[in-house]
Amino acid sequence: MSRLVHEIRNHLAVAVANVEAFRDGVLEPTPARLAAVLDALQQVETLLLQIPRGDPEH
Amino acid sequence: MTAPTVLVVDDEPALVDVLEQYLRDEGFTVVRAADGPAAIDLFERRRPDLVLLDINLPGFSGTEVLRRMRSVRDVPIIMLTGRVDEIDRVVGLELGADDYVGKPFSPREVVARVKSVLRRTGRAAPPPSHERYVGEITIDSVAHEVRVAGKPVTLTPTQFKILDVLSSHVGQTLTRDQLLERVSADGDVFDRTLDRHIANLRARIEPDPGNPRYIVTVFGVGYKMVYPA
Repeated sequence: MSRLVHEIRNHLAVAVANVEAFRDGVLEPTPARLAAVLDALQQVETLLLQIPRGDPEH
Repeated sequence: MTAPTVLVVDDEPALVDVLEQYLRDEGFTVVRAADGPAAIDLFERRRPDLVLLDINLPGFSGTEVLRRMRSVRDVPIIMLTGRVDEIDRVVGLELGADDYVGKPFSPREVVARVKSVLRRTGRAAPPPSHERYVGEITIDSVAHEVRVAGKPVTLTPTQFKILDVLSSHVGQTLTRDQLLERVSADGDVFDRTLDRHIANLRARIEPDPGNPRYIVTVFGVGYKMVYPA
């Protein structure tokens, strides 16, 4: 579980840092960089699916 | 005065790209490594003033890299970590990192920590903040000086104003109206002469003025300054 959380944080870090750089005008949102952000978010999605399910919420 | 050098160590190139550009914008020299052995090698050859170090690295771990660096030279080290459970150990006496930043982070926050740790440890002071750096161009908005690859360039006041405005909005397209408004407080630059001022400016700062890399035309809109690819 802690490994999963760690990996999720790593991928989120890529997405957050890049989007902030686009917002600040520090980096150009080139197709390659947008692809890297999308890939990072898709990795987060994949990892979220591996988190064991707890009891269903009521 | 030489710019302080920061060694950035992380195995995620898309993350290092961001940190590198933010640090360069603040006037730091940046060297980068993607694994432990490369980090140690650059640490010895480039003698950085500060190290930003991811805790999880291929090769050997960030904590091992930190130990080896400390055995060579006492240099401030800021750890980057996605593992909240590691933080106490990292910053505590055991490893003695100077600070840490949890992932995900704001790159601005990382730059602020870098400056703060450098100040605190009395190392190289951050460069004066009135200088801006775009690729090889340095713009000093207080001294009204411009250097290209370290060589001073003489600009007319209007050319300087245009460069000053564009370089403070890198990556952002400014319309002709926005540029005229900001450049020409006293109305001495007219719409029809703007293109000529830009052309003259390019002639002085662009490596190949006919094929501009810094000040690009956004057809039908205006101009923007970009980091050269």
